[in-house]
Amino acid sequence: MSPQLLVFLVFVMELVSSLISILVGYQASKGYKASSSKSLLFLYMGFTVLGIGILLRAITAVFFALAIRTTETPPNSLVSLSNVAGIIFTLTQLAAYSLFTATYAFQAKSLGQRDMEVGGAVSAAVFPIARLFYIPALELLAITMLGFVAVSSLMHWLHQRSLNAELVFLGFSLMLLSHLLFLFMIFDEVLLFFGQLVQLAGFVCLLIMLAKVNKTGV
Amino acid sequence: MSREHKEYRSKTRIYVDILNSLLKHGGKSGPTHLLLGANLSHERLMKHLAQLMDLGLVSEEIGDNERAFKLTDKGRVFILEFVKVEKFAEAFGITI
Repeated sequence: MSPQLLVFLVFVMELVSSLISILVGYQASKGYKASSSKSLLFLYMGFTVLGIGILLRAITAVFFALAIRTTETPPNSLVSLSNVAGIIFTLTQLAAYSLFTATYAFQAKSLGQRDMEVGGAVSAAVFPIARLFYIPALELLAITMLGFVAVSSLMHWLHQRSLNAELVFLGFSLMLLSHLLFLFMIFDEVLLFFGQLVQLAGFVCLLIMLAKVNKTGV
Repeated sequence: MSREHKEYRSKTRIYVDILNSLLKHGGKSGPTHLLLGANLSHERLMKHLAQLMDLGLVSEEIGDNERAFKLTDKGRVFILEFVKVEKFAEAFGITI
């Protein structure tokens, strides 16, 4: 597979993931308007922030990929800029995951007893820059938060045994797995590509859930 | 002494219970059926029905000897949308 094709594939995967995230956020916003549920508000904000963050990262990664093509050694200014971008994207992600955590924690509290993310661009030339978008220490934090969210959704699925709950659990679990792959990218850069793939699969699970919900009739 | 757990019903949930009760009775019903269907006192039911009429979800029909409430098209659309919202929220373990 050519580097250009890889960059294109990763960009498309990021784009689709971000659109699905924004769609889920939109559905949650409709739910919030109809019910005034705070948990749905957190979900709406979380998925929207995540979707926008993913979209910006995809666009920025392509920008860096194109910028690198014009020079053999990336200038320090470009590397510094990619570091700043990496911090911004990771913080955006963490903000989204915090909101997902709040969703489940708030729900657990109100019942008296419950994030997501995404990747960068890739190719032999782009890997060094794209990798800078991932900060291992913050990835660990993201994994911890997503771990809580995935376990909460697992418990809910086990309790409810519905296909929609299962799809949400699969969605969050695949996002968690994608972060683990991003973390281990330090050993093999190709894991960035697989992480993106797994992440997209997670979002597709949420999209299927959304389609099922919207087919519901009275 | 045992203490019975009472589940809190949000205002939206009460509205939906009233609208669903109307739907079960073919979209038109008198207050008595609605009292039972929505599990409300007469006073509270009338208060909520007045709000539902203000929102255009329910209309009132007064006959010679009886008073009935009718689900409007907007009310039917609201129920349909609420069912979707409820399914979506349930998937994430959120109770509305």
